[in-house]
Amino acid sequence: MSVKVWVAVATALLAVLLVPPLLTPGADSGETSQVRSLRVLVPNQPGGGYDITARTAAKAMEDADLLRNAEVFNLPGAGGTVGLGRTVGERGNGKLIMSMGLGVVGAVYTNKSPNSLLDTTPIAKLIEEPDIVVVAKDSPYTSMQQLVDAWKANPGTVTVGGGSAPGGPDHLAPMLIAKAVGLPPKTVNYIPFDGGGELLASVLGGKVAFGVSGVGEYRDQIQAGTLRVLAVTSKNRIQGIDAPTLKESGVDVEFTNWRGIVAPPGIAQNDRDKLVDVFARLHKTSQWAEALQRNGWTDAFAPGDEFKTFLENENKRVATVLKDLGLA
Amino acid sequence: MGQLLDGFATALTPTHLLFAAIGVLLGTAIGVLPGIGPAMAVALLLPVTYGMEPTGAFIMFAGIYYGGMFGGSTTSILLNTPGESAAVVTAFEGNPMARKGRGAQALAAAAIGHFTGGIIGTMLIVLLAPFVAKHAVDIGAPDLFAIMVLAFIAVTSVLGSSRVRGVASLLIGLTIGLVGLDEMTGQQRLTFGSLHLADGIDVIVVAVALFAVGEALWVAAHLRRKPFVPIPVGRPWLSKADLKRTWKPWLRGPAIGFPFGAIPAGGAEIPTFLSYVTEKRLSKHKDEFGKGAIEGVAGPESTASASAAGTLVTMLTLGLPTTATAAVMLAAFQTYGIQPGPLLFQREAGLVWALIASLFIGLTLLLVLNLPLAPLWAKLLRIPRPYLYAGILFFASVGAYAVNADIFDLLLMFVIGVLGFAMRRYGLPVLPAIIGVILGPAAEQQMRRSLQLSDGSLTGLVNSPMAVVVYVIVLLIVFFPLIRRLLPSPTPPAAPTPEREKVDA
Amino acid sequence: MTATKAWLRERSELGICALLVVLGVLVLTDAVRIPTDFAQRGPVGPKAVPILVGSLLLVVAVMLARDVLRGGRGEAEGGEDVDLSEPADWRTVLLLCGAFLANAALIGVVGFPISGAILFWGAAYALGSRAYVRDPLIAAGLSILTFAVFNNLLGVPLPGGPLMEVF
Repeated sequence: MSVKVWVAVATALLAVLLVPPLLTPGADSGETSQVRSLRVLVPNQPGGGYDITARTAAKAMEDADLLRNAEVFNLPGAGGTVGLGRTVGERGNGKLIMSMGLGVVGAVYTNKSPNSLLDTTPIAKLIEEPDIVVVAKDSPYTSMQQLVDAWKANPGTVTVGGGSAPGGPDHLAPMLIAKAVGLPPKTVNYIPFDGGGELLASVLGGKVAFGVSGVGEYRDQIQAGTLRVLAVTSKNRIQGIDAPTLKESGVDVEFTNWRGIVAPPGIAQNDRDKLVDVFARLHKTSQWAEALQRNGWTDAFAPGDEFKTFLENENKRVATVLKDLGLA
Repeated sequence: MGQLLDGFATALTPTHLLFAAIGVLLGTAIGVLPGIGPAMAVALLLPVTYGMEPTGAFIMFAGIYYGGMFGGSTTSILLNTPGESAAVVTAFEGNPMARKGRGAQALAAAAIGHFTGGIIGTMLIVLLAPFVAKHAVDIGAPDLFAIMVLAFIAVTSVLGSSRVRGVASLLIGLTIGLVGLDEMTGQQRLTFGSLHLADGIDVIVVAVALFAVGEALWVAAHLRRKPFVPIPVGRPWLSKADLKRTWKPWLRGPAIGFPFGAIPAGGAEIPTFLSYVTEKRLSKHKDEFGKGAIEGVAGPESTASASAAGTLVTMLTLGLPTTATAAVMLAAFQTYGIQPGPLLFQREAGLVWALIASLFIGLTLLLVLNLPLAPLWAKLLRIPRPYLYAGILFFASVGAYAVNADIFDLLLMFVIGVLGFAMRRYGLPVLPAIIGVILGPAAEQQMRRSLQLSDGSLTGLVNSPMAVVVYVIVLLIVFFPLIRRLLPSPTPPAAPTPEREKVDA
Repeated sequence: MTATKAWLRERSELGICALLVVLGVLVLTDAVRIPTDFAQRGPVGPKAVPILVGSLLLVVAVMLARDVLRGGRGEAEGGEDVDLSEPADWRTVLLLCGAFLANAALIGVVGFPISGAILFWGAAYALGSRAYVRDPLIAAGLSILTFAVFNNLLGVPLPGGPLMEVF
């Protein structure tokens, strides 16, 4: 081989070794409080609940200069357990967080997922959101009582649509309602959709008799009068929505969905603290307060360890409920 | 109409025009990159628009959206590596055209198809938005399943010369489509406990592996050892004969694409395939299909673009995202505190009409920028063969790896690539396999959802007028050859041959 | 012995039949173990479609085998760059596979810029490029450019290599 060839190979090797580090000077040093190139995993479809929460939080953080280069990406499937599996699989990755909520807790059981949320590193609980029982405006049902009567008479044809797989909040809520009104949960004809977006179309088009889903994605349609809310599942009525609570309608069920953030297991203490800290600071920003108001979410912030305890309790509660329903 | 003119007045200010141009350029540039489709392009460029006022930001988004879609088909044609699922079908005819030195024509047909489809689609937004908003949600699972059945029937026309080998290929595709968690019950299927496979195998990975990696390996095995002759670039423009063959596909595209884009779970993969099959059926050059028929580029591209416009209708009027890109756009709206939905046209009329006007402007800019670029892009293929195929493998690898940063995706691509090699060796067409991956999971989900909606009764599959109409069409297609054979033939069978020669001349 | 070999060589397409049988059996055995006791409504559960696809795979495998034994042959795909008159050149194929797999194996260890350059250079070499001076330089340039576009302009992180932490 000639000298020329050696020079060329050496130049190429030096270039690939040296240029990339020079292009990204001081990768993580300097700004210790700011988190760079964080990837936010959303375990359901774009437009769904975890998705809106994740994108809203990422935007508020970037606006408040807490974060740079956050990339929100979707890995939907099986009520979020696909995303959970990925998160648990990324052991030690301090640059990945997952937006999640009650739905993932239940899906772990119904899908017999090998991974549990207890394997993850809880970062923070962020918000709560009640579910609504909703029908299209030309639906024959105008009150919860009417719906329940029709449902009890004919559980097979009065179909329920929900934005989550069996075990998710949109599935748990109608099952709890069924149980409360004396309908065996196994007779309920529940049809899962990929998130609230797809369900919305089916409710609007009258494909399902009624839908149960988080209120967030439906506000505009409700305001426009194309959807009718029969009841809200929370303890109190929701501002801006003219509907009674389930208890007021004679159904003794109280149910609230919540959402939060977890990180992969086994991440460095330093990484974990940084993430908890960044969400604690997000919680204090005006951008976040504004986002909560705009989306009609209830603030339910709980950082790191507090969230861990909550998650353990919630895990037990859901397991009990699902066993009651014969699903776990 | 007056509002649309106001919209144009807003969109045509120098600043907004500049935003639209930047959007189109950025979108095309990013759409050309491997592994990055329009959804990711919009998501990645979201931060660029922070701090801009909403109208400017959305005008830019519109440019990025259409630019990204167009960029995806450029790589599809030139390198056989589709950048997004809507461009998979374009590769069927686009890449053979490019290999024959007709890359510039393929790109021009794609660019004009994109423009025509987009313009007609956008006009349909203006004219039909309220109608679509009212009826899009009427389309349900039985209708979608009926359309899938139609698409399966259509697969028979791409099975190739040996039926049994075509069906084998389709079944391989269906098997790949089965991998992952069952969407209705979350049960694992063919995942072998691997979480990497739990979310199924992306159709882009399958397409790039079968097309690009499989072909590179196949070429390696039988490389033509001859003195280096670059692929001729040929005339840069579409000839009269080309135009004669493409204008109808361009105009037919929106008829298929727009409705699909507008309905929930419609997307762009199935309509582009249906457009391809339609063009093949209607073409006077059926024998050219598979070897670079320009209709097979013009139709699907126009369809894809019109389906993007359809997507926007549902998103703007219902707040309902029907594709990943629409979902990212929806999120973008929400970060500006704007909630798309039935009240959007009243609340934000100025913004919406400026956005619609900027769609027209963006599409025009895209055409003006890309038509002259087509011959330049096509020159890319003049690089020596080793570099070309090395570049294709490099490009495919980056695309597979960058999105999920997972080596497993590279290995998966290799395994499917080897499969593509074997299929080429033994004359199994790759096209039916791709269609199987696209259609299989969607058809199964819609069928099972229909049956559940009807509480298990089989009538649930046919209880909607649209489904019935589609099934009637299916029956007509299946039995038409039979009926025609029974009827007395009005023309002697020798007639078609001279006619075709006349067209060719 | 050689007669059998020649017979098999002539009918190597039976390998595709074998592949289809293996796939079919795989799909069927996988489908059988899916539990159906929970959360299933309607007559069609998660098993039905896999069983259909698996059975069809077996049927098509038999039909293809019959076709091959009766003398049917799949037509190898032609193309502008393909010369079917020569026998398959396995050395080139293996080199190309090596280049592709080297990238997969090395990307996590030495970073994308190096593994990507190896992929491009290796593939170009396998396919007959013998420009020893130009090839490594082009490979390095392409790799660095791609890295810069993804990592720096778009914020899609790619592994940078062993020296990332040094500077």
